[in-house]
Amino acid sequence: MKKNRNKTGFKIPDNYFADFEAQLYSKIDEINFPPRTGFKVPENYFERLDDSVFNKITASEKQHKVISLFPTKYLGYAAAFAACLVIGFSIFNTANEQETLDALQLATIDKYIDEGNLNFDLYDITTFIDDDNIINTNLEEQQFSEAVLKNYLLENVDEKTLIDEQ
Amino acid sequence: MVEEKVLVTALQTEADKEAAFRELVSQYKERLYWQIRNMVLDHDDADDVLQNTFIKIFRNINSFKGESKLHTWMYRIAANESITFLNNKAKRNNTSIEAVKDNALRNLESDVYFEGDAIQLQFQKAIALLPERQRLIFTMKYFEDHTFEQLSQILDTSVGGLKSSYHIAVKKITQFIKTNNETL
Repeated sequence: MKKNRNKTGFKIPDNYFADFEAQLYSKIDEINFPPRTGFKVPENYFERLDDSVFNKITASEKQHKVISLFPTKYLGYAAAFAACLVIGFSIFNTANEQETLDALQLATIDKYIDEGNLNFDLYDITTFIDDDNIINTNLEEQQFSEAVLKNYLLENVDEKTLIDEQ
Repeated sequence: MVEEKVLVTALQTEADKEAAFRELVSQYKERLYWQIRNMVLDHDDADDVLQNTFIKIFRNINSFKGESKLHTWMYRIAANESITFLNNKAKRNNTSIEAVKDNALRNLESDVYFEGDAIQLQFQKAIALLPERQRLIFTMKYFEDHTFEQLSQILDTSVGGLKSSYHIAVKKITQFIKTNNETL
C-alpha cells in the first residue's frame, strides 16, 4: 500500500466522520421546517415590561405596617385562657393522644405533599438513600420485559453523552 | 451595550443596583421571553415566567459568583423556571405535564397571539411532543440560534450529548410531520 508522503498537520474532532452523516441528514430535514414560530406579543409589551417587573419587585419588598388584631391589654387574659385550655386537654385527653397525633400527622403530611409544598433538593434526598435495596434487588425476578426496557433506554438514555463522558 | 463585567459589579453595588438592573432587563427581556414562550406557548404564561425569572435574578444577583457568564446564568434560570412552571401547572390542575401541553396546543388554534399557519401549528405540535429537555435544546438551537457550545454551558451538558439530543429531536419532528401529512 502506498504511504502518505506528506501530512497536512490538520486534525479533526473525535468521531467527526461518524457523526457527520447524522448531522447532515438532520440539516436536510430541517430545511422543511418553518423558519418562524408564529407566536406574536401584544403591542408595546416589551416597552411596558421593564416597569411591570420593577413594580413587582418594589411591591414585594415594601414593608407593610402590621396592625395588631388584639390590643395588648387583652393579651394577659388570652394567655391565661390558652394555658387553661392546654392544661385541661393534657388532663382529660391523655388516653388517645398518641393515636390522634399519628393520624393527624399522616393526614397533614399527605395534604402537604399533595399541595406540592414538598420541595426537596435531589442531592439532599440522595444523602439519605443507601444502595442496599438496589444491591439486593434481583432484576431477573422483576417483571421488566425486554421491549419495555429497550423503549425506556431509547427514550431516556443519551448514549452519546455516556460515550463522551467516559 | 454595557459590558457584562461592569454590569455585574453595578448589580452587586447597592447604589447602582436599580439602574444596572433596568439595563439588564432592557438588554435581555426579548431573548429570555422567546426562550420561555417556546416552552410554555401561551403569552400570559410566558409573561408570568419572564417576570419571575427577572425577580429571581434580582434577588439572587448578590450570590452570583461569576463562575459562568451572567447571560448563561440567566438563560439557565429562565429554562428552569419554564420547566418548573409547567410542572406546577400540571400539579395545580391535578393532571400530567402532557395534558398541560395538549391544552396549550389546543388553545393555540384560537390564540390571538398566534399567527402561524397550519404548517407552523403542526410544527409546534411536533415540538410539544418532545420530552422537556429535548424540547428546550431544540427550540433554543433552532429558533434562538444558540451554538452548541453556548447551550452546553447553559444546560450543563456535553456538546456531543446536546448534538445527539438535537438530532433525535429533528428526527422525531420530521417523523411526526410525515405521518400527519399522510393521514391528512
